[in-house]
Amino acid sequence: MSVLLQAKQLEKTYRVGEVETYALRGVDLDVTEGEFTAVAGPSGSGKSTLLHLLAGLDKPSKGEVYLEGERIDTLSIAQLANLRLANFGFVFQAYNLIPVLSALENAAFVLELQGVPKKEREARAMEALTVLDMDQYASRRPNQLSGGQQQRVAVARALASNPSVILADEPTANLDSTTGLALIEHMKRLNEQQGVTFLFSTHDPRLLAHVKRIARVEDGKIVGEDSPQREPELVASGAA
Amino acid sequence: MWLLAWRNIWRKKWRSLLTAFAVGVVVYLTLIYFGMVGASQNGMYQSISQNAGHIQLRVAGYRDIHDFDDLLIDGVASLTEQISSAVTSLNSDIDTELIQDLQVSTALEVPGLLEGDGRSRGIVLQGIDQTDSGRERYAEEYLEAGNLPTPGDLESIALGNKLATALGVDLGDTVYMYAPGTEGYGAAAFTVTGLLNIAGAETFAVSSLLAAQDVGAPEDASRVELYFPNLRRFVDDPVLGAARDQLVGALAEAGVEVDALEVELWREVDPSISSYLASSEGITTVITGLFFVLAGLLVMNTVYLSVMERIKEFGVMIALGTKRRNVVRMMLGESLFICAVGASVGGVLGMVSLWRMAQGFSFPGMEELFVEYGLPATLYASISPDQIVLTVVFTVLTGILAALFPAFTAARLEPVEAMRFSAA
Repeated sequence: MSVLLQAKQLEKTYRVGEVETYALRGVDLDVTEGEFTAVAGPSGSGKSTLLHLLAGLDKPSKGEVYLEGERIDTLSIAQLANLRLANFGFVFQAYNLIPVLSALENAAFVLELQGVPKKEREARAMEALTVLDMDQYASRRPNQLSGGQQQRVAVARALASNPSVILADEPTANLDSTTGLALIEHMKRLNEQQGVTFLFSTHDPRLLAHVKRIARVEDGKIVGEDSPQREPELVASGAA
Repeated sequence: MWLLAWRNIWRKKWRSLLTAFAVGVVVYLTLIYFGMVGASQNGMYQSISQNAGHIQLRVAGYRDIHDFDDLLIDGVASLTEQISSAVTSLNSDIDTELIQDLQVSTALEVPGLLEGDGRSRGIVLQGIDQTDSGRERYAEEYLEAGNLPTPGDLESIALGNKLATALGVDLGDTVYMYAPGTEGYGAAAFTVTGLLNIAGAETFAVSSLLAAQDVGAPEDASRVELYFPNLRRFVDDPVLGAARDQLVGALAEAGVEVDALEVELWREVDPSISSYLASSEGITTVITGLFFVLAGLLVMNTVYLSVMERIKEFGVMIALGTKRRNVVRMMLGESLFICAVGASVGGVLGMVSLWRMAQGFSFPGMEELFVEYGLPATLYASISPDQIVLTVVFTVLTGILAALFPAFTAARLEPVEAMRFSAA
């Protein structure tokens, strides 16, 4: 498997007045195709910042970011927008669906930005919703869906455009246990059956129990990597 | 993106409708304002042209001539006949409907002294022969009491109401006109048969042409006035230039010595009113622009509020790959749609109101004031195609300019910061 995303000596600092705060301090990370990987750490450790930098949502203060061997941290705002549109799928903690669009329209939103014709994008969006068992809610607006359903629509939106990698920032943080586990199952199945690469930022043990690799971040640094063991209670519950 | 813009408009339905309503009110008021300005222009135009004609013929260089005799057009009757026949050939390049039904009036101005009840005033006696319809219209607009002198009437005179008051005379009283040193009898006695409420009423008296000729200059006149009754709207005035040129050519062909005559349009006779009418258009445009600035601020407030409420959403859209120009386009679409809906409703209502006002309207109780300012009691609204285009352009500009600042604010958002934003 080739390296898809690569971070080299990434640093991110924020300046508030005279005070400079480090969010990341020299992070190196490789993500290969087909991975189901989590960046884990406590709140404020820098895991979300790392995801944002890898996705071109923000620019590093120092260091380099590569996507499929091409350096992307030096690209312009417009180039980064195109790059995100073509290569990344996003799932956010707060779902972040567009409230005035239906589930189907939300799932098709990125495809519309890509200029995919209406019929095709609707078919692909519906296919993504079906994979996530959300096809029966296609015409509903976000406020007519539960949190878990909204997050599944968000995953469908990320999935529909067939991106190189889906970056999910705390995707289960706002979900109850059952819903969270169901979502994890869906994402895991996509990874295993369709080879979709996932990179999470999370400190949710339910999710960490299912990823293949964990990069642990503390105080803006990667302090270690490991492959988790499934927690017995999760296995017993049948969620895994 | 357009679907999104459309749905966003309905997110805060009442706010969008209120903004559209405000734009509609501005468009409606703008059209009515244009119509009212047009009505006052038409009123002044009508008043001036009815009193002095659209085109006047006088002795060449009359402005520099001070001798009464040298101001006279000799044998005016044959000239008026030649004019009437020449006007029938004015049709090419001119909107013929506007210059049909020409009315030719001949007037003689005799300066002199008018005496009544032991008091006297210096006046200019206007001897005018008008057509029946012209006299009727004149009476409707200006006659306060009594009757106007009829053509050939040697006994009757109508006085400006203020002149009558100054002389201490009323209807039925006798006044005496003295005009020594003229070619006529130089004096005459008249019975006051009418009182006029007209601008300049302090020094104004009107008799038949024949009566004035008897006093001052038999068979002669000071001016010939051509009045086109269909030419009532100021916006149609430009046809007069071509009409004048063709008339002069036709008179020359008929053997009239046109070089001895000054053939002037009403605006050349009275440049001050002409320039006032012309300048009022610029002022009208500026005031209309201010209407739209106010409307624009309201639209901007709505669009800006809408951006502030959706900052997180814009952050997500930009994060997903929405181009910033598409964000701008979407906001412009929302603003333009609100403006278009308001403008359509306001525009239709405005045009319907204007159509009704174009049939004639008045302000009961304000007739005196209107006459004081030289306006007829009944006004006719009109709007030019340019003004309609201007209203549309102002509406579109309002929609675009009002949305630009909020739109660029939204487009410049940093996705990470925007997604963290909390409206609370």
